[in-house]
Amino acid sequence: MEEIIFGIGITALAGALAAVAGAAEDTESDIGSQGDPNSQVQLAPQMGYVHRIFNKAIAGEPPAYGLWVALGAGLAWAFMAMQINPILAIVLGSALAVFVQGVYATTAYLGRTASLSKFEQPVYIDILKSMTTVTMAHAFVAIFATVTVCHLMNGALGHPFPLPLLGLVWGIALGAAGSATGNPFYGKERQYQNQAFGAGVPIAASGNIVRYAEAGQRNSIDNGFFSAKLGGPASGICFGLIVFFELWRTVVFEPVAAGWGAIIVGVVVILIFAIIDRYIEVWARKTFGPYTTPEEASS
Amino acid sequence: MTVKVEVGAGGVPHNKVMIYGLVGSFIFLYLTYLNTYLQAPYLAFFGGLAAVAALVWGADTIKHLCSYGLGTGVPSAGMIALGSGVLAALFGATTGVLTPIVTIILAAIIGAITGLLANHVVRMDIPAMVSSLTELAIVGAITVLGLATMACGTFEFLGMITGTFTFLGFTVQTYGMSVIGGGVIAVIFMLGAIAIQHAFNACLGPGEKQDRTLMLAAECGFLSMITVAIISFAFIETYAALLAFLVSVIGWIYTYKRYIDLSKRDAYAWLDAKPIIEPKGGA
Repeated sequence: MEEIIFGIGITALAGALAAVAGAAEDTESDIGSQGDPNSQVQLAPQMGYVHRIFNKAIAGEPPAYGLWVALGAGLAWAFMAMQINPILAIVLGSALAVFVQGVYATTAYLGRTASLSKFEQPVYIDILKSMTTVTMAHAFVAIFATVTVCHLMNGALGHPFPLPLLGLVWGIALGAAGSATGNPFYGKERQYQNQAFGAGVPIAASGNIVRYAEAGQRNSIDNGFFSAKLGGPASGICFGLIVFFELWRTVVFEPVAAGWGAIIVGVVVILIFAIIDRYIEVWARKTFGPYTTPEEASS
Repeated sequence: MTVKVEVGAGGVPHNKVMIYGLVGSFIFLYLTYLNTYLQAPYLAFFGGLAAVAALVWGADTIKHLCSYGLGTGVPSAGMIALGSGVLAALFGATTGVLTPIVTIILAAIIGAITGLLANHVVRMDIPAMVSSLTELAIVGAITVLGLATMACGTFEFLGMITGTFTFLGFTVQTYGMSVIGGGVIAVIFMLGAIAIQHAFNACLGPGEKQDRTLMLAAECGFLSMITVAIISFAFIETYAALLAFLVSVIGWIYTYKRYIDLSKRDAYAWLDAKPIIEPKGGA
């Protein structure tokens, strides 16, 4: 019994850390216009809309975070193997992984922008200087929290995988959660505030992203404020729930039927969430209705 | 929404890059074998250099493959390269002194099968698919083998699955503290997979230039080497790891500076804190 209570405590802590990681991850990727919003940021100058938005495309979010977290975990593992205290090892590992992330971000922005010279898109190095550091700060929070979750699983819950492998698995999960949950807030709405709400992205509006802010010109720090309010928390809830339910079902139901209990509960949790998702989708369609004509869309 | 992928023309012919990459990485891998004659694996860093040579070649291959309009397929090309490569590298590592040769042959076979499946079963029908995936599998295999060699000082399987840890003053050999048993191979896999695709993924566009893309590939390789050198402190003698770290840092600083210079050369303008200048044609 004591073991289960201890396990539940670790589960709650890991879920909370994962929520923080998810929120930071989505804010980081949105400031860099990574993932789903990237195609429009990349397309805009080709359509004649020169912009001052950070464009750091480093693969998709899941592979990129697979690397950052696996690297943070691998370095932390190596430092622990050198008899360094785990907390210090995780901090050092995450800091070095963030250094790699920052370097990748700068080379991605320079490469993409220099290749768009034909469309008169200049390289704004103030963007590079101010926004890379902000993404690095958010990435540190995301990597540190996720590596800590992995260390808790490995050390406290006795997960058989070594730390770097857990880092790879949970890094990909973190990137996928942020990419799927948080990005549409920025990619589908924020970039297209100049279109009618719910209009989607008509072909004629491709690349016509919002380039001017409340005052002056919009840069990616403005998108960071927006993401921290909507997309970030949504991703945080998503990733937090994933980590929490994953560990909860294992800790509580592992002893049932030689491990099959945890698998059955996992399937049941997925089914419950599928029903909830379907209900919300149908409710939202009924309440807000499909987009038909501009006249009706004003309500 | 896909972005049209365009590549710049000109530059060094692909076959030349391939030969330099293949021969260079092959020689570098065998140079690490000289570690067996030294007291400590001082030559481990040559494994990292083999990975750099292979990554430069791989970036050029991805550029050729992805010029067939695989916009979002650029990162997946890196994944499939390392996915096929890691199998070949781990099997090849069991063959002792023949490791680099067996790894390359096996990777070529795996890559060719993957390419044939992609073209004839999945019906992607891309002309360069079979040859490109063969090359990419070899590049992936050399990258994994090179970086793993750099981490533990040898390309032999026994060295990759044996680690040591000190317990109450006694040094004990364990599987758990080795490159494979500790999961460091997963880190190497991701380092290679992101490094191989990043160069072209970051530089694609109508203004893409081969020298800039390949310089970025080398930069990604040296950056990966820095982190592997830090991890290698857990496996090999301090001075050998320190040497590897210094070589990686010097290589990285040089390639990063060169890459920024090349970006400055190719950029439309290089501005600091200036507003948007609308194009002359108008939006």
